[in-house]
Amino acid sequence: MGLFDNLFGRKPAVSSSAVAKERLLTVLVHDRVHLTPADMEAMKREIIAVIERYVEISNPEAIEVTLTRGEANDHLKADIPLGRTRQP
Amino acid sequence: MAQVITITSGKGGVGKTTTTANLGTALALLGQRVVVIDADIGLRNLDVVMGLENRIVYDLVDVVEGRCRTRQALIKDKRFPELFLLPAAQTRDKDAVSPDDMIALCTELRREFDFILIDSPAGIEGGFKNAIAPADYIIIVTTPDMSAVRDADRIVGLVEAYEKHHPRLIINRIKPRMVARGDMMDTTDVVEILAIDLVGIVPDDENIVTSTNRGEVAVLDRTSEAGRAFMNIANRLMGHDVPFMVLGEKNGVWSQFLNMFRTRRT
Repeated sequence: MGLFDNLFGRKPAVSSSAVAKERLLTVLVHDRVHLTPADMEAMKREIIAVIERYVEISNPEAIEVTLTRGEANDHLKADIPLGRTRQP
Repeated sequence: MAQVITITSGKGGVGKTTTTANLGTALALLGQRVVVIDADIGLRNLDVVMGLENRIVYDLVDVVEGRCRTRQALIKDKRFPELFLLPAAQTRDKDAVSPDDMIALCTELRREFDFILIDSPAGIEGGFKNAIAPADYIIIVTTPDMSAVRDADRIVGLVEAYEKHHPRLIINRIKPRMVARGDMMDTTDVVEILAIDLVGIVPDDENIVTSTNRGEVAVLDRTSEAGRAFMNIANRLMGHDVPFMVLGEKNGVWSQFLNMFRTRRT
């Protein structure tokens, strides 16, 4: 019964409205910014090429390029793991 | 100074026509001189929602093509002091009218009316462009679901691109119990996503169906919550400060209490 589910620690599932909101925020950034998945891939490759001129990237496949929505701006973020660098 | 307001949405079926009919009637009840224009050529509905379908002689296309004077096409709703309808044509398509035609028409109507409300067709094509052309500002109607909000977002972008700045939002068909359960996005969610000013929220209300069946708008029904909401919006359009109705809160004390007793049936 619902009452006991919540009293005895069954974690409530994420509400469907919260899922809807997240999905909308993501899909709308893509709608607004007009970058196709192909554009994103091409951009990712070029970013990797530029960065590799300056630092070594341990695993190029681990790079993530995302579009997200902030409070005042839409954000294009590139997350580039560099591996663990040691002091020379 | 007359105000020309276009009611649009992107998505079909979210309540543009209902909103236009109710806001027009509410403004007339508040003493304003109002004309509502059905810009959905070929799929007219504003006449039926207002119960004026038997009084149509001339329509918007007749006016634009010069077959009658504008006054001859305006249908006076006899139930209210100063409320008129300019119906759409049913047997033509949207190419029959151009944005410039709409601007010229509204320039003429501004001389005699306080509010000119234009019921836009759904979509983003010619009918929509015609409907927004003469507007001083735009009201975008959405329901709190994925498809409608996505389409509304596109409309926000388009409307800004057509230089109709500061569109306002109406969120229609809110179901407070679904919102309290977390099964429907709430007002804050939708406003945060669309990021435009909110001018009104309207609860889902069976009275809308029954009143449309009778050709009477919900604003006249004292028991209709939606009617009350539309009257609040009309007051806001006139510059009066009216607090928003409380329509379900996620995680409010009451909804947390209710959730304790929720069983698995919907």
